[in-house]
Amino acid sequence: MNEIWIGIAAVLGTIVCYQIGQFVHKKWPVSFTAPVIVATPIVIIFLLSFDIPYETYMIGGEWINQLLGPAVVALAYPLYQHWSTLKKLTVPLLSGTLVGAFVGVASGMLLAVWADVDGAIFYSLLPKNATTAVAMDVAVSLGGVGSLAAVFVMIAGVGGVMISSFVFKLFGPVDSIGRGIGIGSASHAIGTASAMENSELEGSIATIAMVVSAVAVSIIVPLLVMVFM
Amino acid sequence: MLKFFTVAFHIAVLYIIFIAGTWIQQLFNLFIPGSVIGLVLLFTLLISGVLKVQWIEAGTAFIIKHLAFFFIPVTAGVMNYFDLFAGKGVVLILIGLISTALVMVTGGHVSQALMRRREAEHE
Repeated sequence: MNEIWIGIAAVLGTIVCYQIGQFVHKKWPVSFTAPVIVATPIVIIFLLSFDIPYETYMIGGEWINQLLGPAVVALAYPLYQHWSTLKKLTVPLLSGTLVGAFVGVASGMLLAVWADVDGAIFYSLLPKNATTAVAMDVAVSLGGVGSLAAVFVMIAGVGGVMISSFVFKLFGPVDSIGRGIGIGSASHAIGTASAMENSELEGSIATIAMVVSAVAVSIIVPLLVMVFM
Repeated sequence: MLKFFTVAFHIAVLYIIFIAGTWIQQLFNLFIPGSVIGLVLLFTLLISGVLKVQWIEAGTAFIIKHLAFFFIPVTAGVMNYFDLFAGKGVVLILIGLISTALVMVTGGHVSQALMRRREAEHE
């Protein structure tokens, strides 16, 4: 019984934090005020200041997590709606995504070698731009740690969305096709959620990038590791 | 109230497709997660006309409008890893961010450049 109340409180609390996030994002519509970026720290600060362990919060958080799978499935609908536009763009969209996936793995590898990062951390870092489940599988299959891989996926996702408006302003790309591919292949589903807030077309493009790059990363990581390590 | 039930029903349909995706993943021992297989599955069902848009429309619109919400609990899990971010962890975060920024810029520019070249050819 008690667990149910904790769960309900966790869900309601998350909804309140999300609404604060939405409010802030409406007021200052830039990428580092994206709802997930504003709401998550509020949840964490709340839990820390009342000494509530993450595991207790997750009694209710797990209920929300249950909907993560269907939420990813739902991305098929805008993709379907924009398909007549998107299918004409197959070559540009796929090329950008594949280049992005390769750059993500290769640059992660080079920077890690340069910074003397090795062992389990090294393998957990490489697949960071893929969606969580893929990244964890790839990392573990090479000798990385699943939960550590998930943290790097978060850095690519949340961190990527946070810096995206700044990075795009400084270095481009400027149009919604380029930005959709950029954010979708760099920041997977969290990036797609943020692209969806800009426009449905940009969101659908990011969806394609997310799906293709999940597959590409899972092939490129073991390949590059085999060749260079 | 009717709208609430429509949305709930549509989300249930999405959930079934997600479960189907997970089954396919386990059956063929695939490395692609069940949710992504479900995405491709739903897309195929819609394109082929097997599943009518009316069956999922309201639920998908609702979920996509609030997509960010569903990522809050998972993301809050970072709080268990604050230790990692001390000391050398900062370097790891920087590596992650720089490499992610590179993906954004290179991938995006390749698509944009190919698009523009195509548009120029058509003119």
